[in-house]
Amino acid sequence: MKLLRIFDANSKNNWTSASGRRTPETATILRTALLIGMTFVVLAPVIWFTLSSFKGLAELGGRPHLLPQSFSLDNYSQALKMYNYKQYFFNSVFVTTVATILTLIINSMAAYAFAKYNFRGRDGLFVLTLAMIMIPLQVILIPIYLVVAQLGMVNTYWGLIIPAAATPTGVFVIRQYMLTIPDELIESARIDGAGEFRIYARIVLPLARPALAVVAIFSILWRWNDFIWPLLVAQDEKFYTLPVALAQLNGRLAVPTNIIIAMSVMSIIPVLIMFVFMQRQIVQGISQTGMK
Amino acid sequence: MLIKKAGRRGSSVSWSRRLVPYLFVAPNLAIFLTFIIWPAIRGFWISFFDSNDGVHFKYVGNANFKEILHDPTISQVARNTITYVFFYVVLAITISIALALVVNEQKFAKGFFRAILFMPVMLSPVVVGLIWSDIVDRKHGPLNAAIKFLGGGAPGWLVDTNLGMVTVVFVGLWVHVGFYSIILLAGLQGIDRSVLEAASIDGASRMQTIRQIILPLLKPTTLVIIILATIHGFQSFDFIYTLTGGGPLGATTLIVQYIYERAFGVPIRYGLGSAAGVILFLVIFAFTALNFIAGRRRNAV
Repeated sequence: MKLLRIFDANSKNNWTSASGRRTPETATILRTALLIGMTFVVLAPVIWFTLSSFKGLAELGGRPHLLPQSFSLDNYSQALKMYNYKQYFFNSVFVTTVATILTLIINSMAAYAFAKYNFRGRDGLFVLTLAMIMIPLQVILIPIYLVVAQLGMVNTYWGLIIPAAATPTGVFVIRQYMLTIPDELIESARIDGAGEFRIYARIVLPLARPALAVVAIFSILWRWNDFIWPLLVAQDEKFYTLPVALAQLNGRLAVPTNIIIAMSVMSIIPVLIMFVFMQRQIVQGISQTGMK
Repeated sequence: MLIKKAGRRGSSVSWSRRLVPYLFVAPNLAIFLTFIIWPAIRGFWISFFDSNDGVHFKYVGNANFKEILHDPTISQVARNTITYVFFYVVLAITISIALALVVNEQKFAKGFFRAILFMPVMLSPVVVGLIWSDIVDRKHGPLNAAIKFLGGGAPGWLVDTNLGMVTVVFVGLWVHVGFYSIILLAGLQGIDRSVLEAASIDGASRMQTIRQIILPLLKPTTLVIIILATIHGFQSFDFIYTLTGGGPLGATTLIVQYIYERAFGVPIRYGLGSAAGVILFLVIFAFTALNFIAGRRRNAV
């Protein structure tokens, strides 16, 4: 927005300019055309895919048409009936919800300690927490699987939820926010005789709500879409989350494409709803922390 | 609990209260220790062993690393990964900067275009892979239908080995570019207005302003993007898994898929996979450090 106004001012005040900079209209048209092109590249595949979910198997195997020749919801009803779709959906919802709550609790606890306490080893532990960003899951895929297997957490909800619940970015975002909460507030609560955990739960957490919201949104998005972690832990079909189920069913020749497409569309609906309602928080979260 | 005001440190603080911050940090830290730090150490250790069941480990020295350097399958995976990361990072940076600049200057429907920009970030990469495999399908996909309509042939986007890589890079960009642009947009907002005003008073053209003022001032943000893109590039796996499955003929199998397959595919080789993980870590670490140092040096000049 700021830049816009400058270029605006620029075109009005350029009495010293020699060259013909009287072309803002062309620039605007070009820019808008480019952005419409971008919009097409982003939206067209998703729209095409969604329309495909209403096409029958025969039509999908024929010459491609934009609109379904025979609009039907069969794919959806079949997907719901076959292949345990409800189970996968439940698993995704359950894992996303519980994991996000757990992440919020343990991340905010650690963040509170890092932001508001002086204790020996604090800075070291904080740096250690941030250093966890340097070891992505993909790098330790095999040893982490072996650890989870040893702990008997393969094919359990706890295995899906706990290992990824502690996030360095979550601790960082909440800590930065908690630093702005005045110490006096906490001190006076202490003088009033409030216990340490009570202060955290009743005073600090409510005040840190904006930071918690950002972490919650990203945790939900990440857990809902996460593939590689549940792929390792959920070996049994009973524990498949939606992305794992989609990838595994897609790999089986016996599963028809129309079912996969219908399942995929259903799995992105919750995310698209979040996209519509939480845009501002998401943009803010991305630009402040570079997390995803 | 009889702590008087300002009794923050020293003997006035009770033993139990000094324990409190450690208790707050404990759950988070316990998970890091169990599920990141310990596996990382273990992975390094396992990379010197051979095992196909995760129970019996045979010490093999540096044989796994030697095998990685000499085995033709792995050298193909390495070539694929380097090709992918190179094109992915270069194109991601170029396109995301261009898009950020364009969206930033846009007046009409700016919010809408910004939303469109990051919509792919929200989608599950698994679903993105499925969407694009549908779009680029050789016989039944709309892309080839459009190409045919324009008088072209029917390119095998997922059948030809080179085109397979092109498709995978493109979809990788489709997933991430908007995300990078959003970060760059924030960087653009942070540029001091007065600098741009000064440039306009001096009669700088729009191109000059972008090249000589905006891009240099955007350098710190660009550095973040380069590091993120490099890491994302090396980690790519999920959308490729449903898009090409690593094919055709292993042409789009990248390192993470290779590691995954050493644990769950045939042949199971935990030690070899762990060694590949160690190398991946070192490579990511080296690139990140290199980018960081290069960025610092350029800033210092």
